[in-house]
Amino acid sequence: MKKVLIIGGGGGGLILANHLDTNEFDVTIVDKSDLHFYQPWFLYIAFKGSKRKISRPIGELVRPGVNFVKDEITEINLDERKAYGSRKVVYNYDYIAIATGTSPDPDSIPGLRQIYDEYGDYHSSVYNSQKLWSHVKNFKGGTIAIGQASPTCKCPPSLLEGAFLLEERLRGMGMSVGISDSISPSNGNDPAKTGTKGKSRIVFFTPFPRAYSAEPMNRVVEPMVKERGIEVMPFFDVDTIDVQNKTINSLEGESLKYDLPIIVPPCKGPKIKFTPETVQDEDRFIKADKNHMKIPGYDDAFAIGDCNTLPTSKTGVTAHLEAMAVSELIQGKYSEFNGRINCPFDTAYGKATFVIADYKNPVVPYPPTATKHFMKMSMARIYWMTLMGTADPIFERFFKFTTPEKLNKKYASVE
Amino acid sequence: MDVGVKIIDSRGAACPGPITDLARAYRNSKVGDIFEMWATDKGVKADTQAWATKTGNEILESREEPDKIVIRIKINKR
Ligand SMILES: Cc1cc2nc3c(=O)[nH]c(=O)nc-3n(C[C@H](O)[C@H](O)[C@H](O)COP(=O)(O)OP(=O)(O)OC[C@H]3O[C@@H](n4cnc5c(N)ncnc54)[C@H](O)[C@@H]3O)c2cc1C
Repeated sequence: MKKVLIIGGGGGGLILANHLDTNEFDVTIVDKSDLHFYQPWFLYIAFKGSKRKISRPIGELVRPGVNFVKDEITEINLDERKAYGSRKVVYNYDYIAIATGTSPDPDSIPGLRQIYDEYGDYHSSVYNSQKLWSHVKNFKGGTIAIGQASPTCKCPPSLLEGAFLLEERLRGMGMSVGISDSISPSNGNDPAKTGTKGKSRIVFFTPFPRAYSAEPMNRVVEPMVKERGIEVMPFFDVDTIDVQNKTINSLEGESLKYDLPIIVPPCKGPKIKFTPETVQDEDRFIKADKNHMKIPGYDDAFAIGDCNTLPTSKTGVTAHLEAMAVSELIQGKYSEFNGRINCPFDTAYGKATFVIADYKNPVVPYPPTATKHFMKMSMARIYWMTLMGTADPIFERFFKFTTPEKLNKKYASVE
Repeated sequence: MDVGVKIIDSRGAACPGPITDLARAYRNSKVGDIFEMWATDKGVKADTQAWATKTGNEILESREEPDKIVIRIKINKR
């Protein structure tokens, strides 16, 4: 039987493993952790204090016949088809799929490590999200600077989702949000929105030209950003943080003062030594072709999900679709990933939208609704079925009826 | 291809889009570097122009080829 070795039991690794025929292939997942986390929920821990349990043992999420080994891979030799774990354990393979996600790198920006250790964030772990929640719930007023420290980040909508949920939270605590002239007249007379429990400002900084990077979706969310009094600093790519003076400085030459910093650290690819080392880019992401996820020069090696260099968003949905395509390719069928993204986007106050596009079609200006919010919330339950493959029929239909081509005809037709 | 020109291939990127790759390359650049950006996203021209104005860098050329938009950028400020 041919051996398939999968490094990483996150969304990508599990979906791949669970779609391979274990009567045909000897399938092994190696992960350094024995738990799998539902990362989208970090947002609700950090900004709502949710206590939902969002992890499950990887060993319980694999189909019968798939092996799971807890180990950290430190070295992969693609020429010799060998991966090395701790204590020099060697894993041989016929096919390898690397699905190690990203790792946060707070040390690459001066001052960020201290902020990260003290305030946490809403992208890295349950622990960090709980730490951030303790600062959010005790916030007494002043300026909150919130954003991503570098342009490479998981789940592009999650950054602004953080700002939206934070605004909802602060108003819920009875605070005002925004400098007075940025509050729209429709909010001006509403006591709940003007605030009696203190004044706050939310400044959302972003390396992109606008609040939401993709312009069609920005057209949808920017009016909401303005109406809620959230200020935006575009083209703000974090260079250094002066912790003493509570100031963030950008590569573009601006600075931003804060009372509470909420900074999502830059993310990088896995800390694995590869032979040949040219398969990783300068941020350690693994190069792979955008349709078949093959590592250039190797027919037996794939990189799927957040750890690769594909020109698409780093999201669970792309990890899912890439894994499905790779499972077909390994089983000798033709398959291709078309760049489809489908990122849920919570715009707070019970509404959400989806960021939908693919390699050939631009992002749809898709309006937020309560139904889409319900779908996003339901995902927290359906997610575990998705990993096992039992929700495939629902997803197949959903993706078929919501292609960016179809949706753009309806929602972007005015252009 | 000229020597010393860094190609930034963002073809197919719709979200977060080509500015991601440009900003990443900018972080590791030095004065005098030349970037050649390839993209298919229609908004790339306006976005790179706005980026260049903001950062004090220079667009040398911007042209449309059948399969891509090509933009050359000179790094004057870092
Ligand atoms: C706040 C937030 C909100 C999000 N919202 C959404 C959303 O609504 N929808 C969506 O689709 N996506 C969302 N995402 C993104 C989504 O969580 C990720 O894109 C997805 O988890 C990527 O899957 P992956 O398999 O590539 O990596 P991961 O799920 O991160 O898994 C990587 C695995 O590899 C293991 N690993 C790493 N290095 C090694 C090693 N050297 N040896 C062994 N094992 C290793 C890790 O322990 C981990 O288990 C969100 C993310 C965040 C942070």
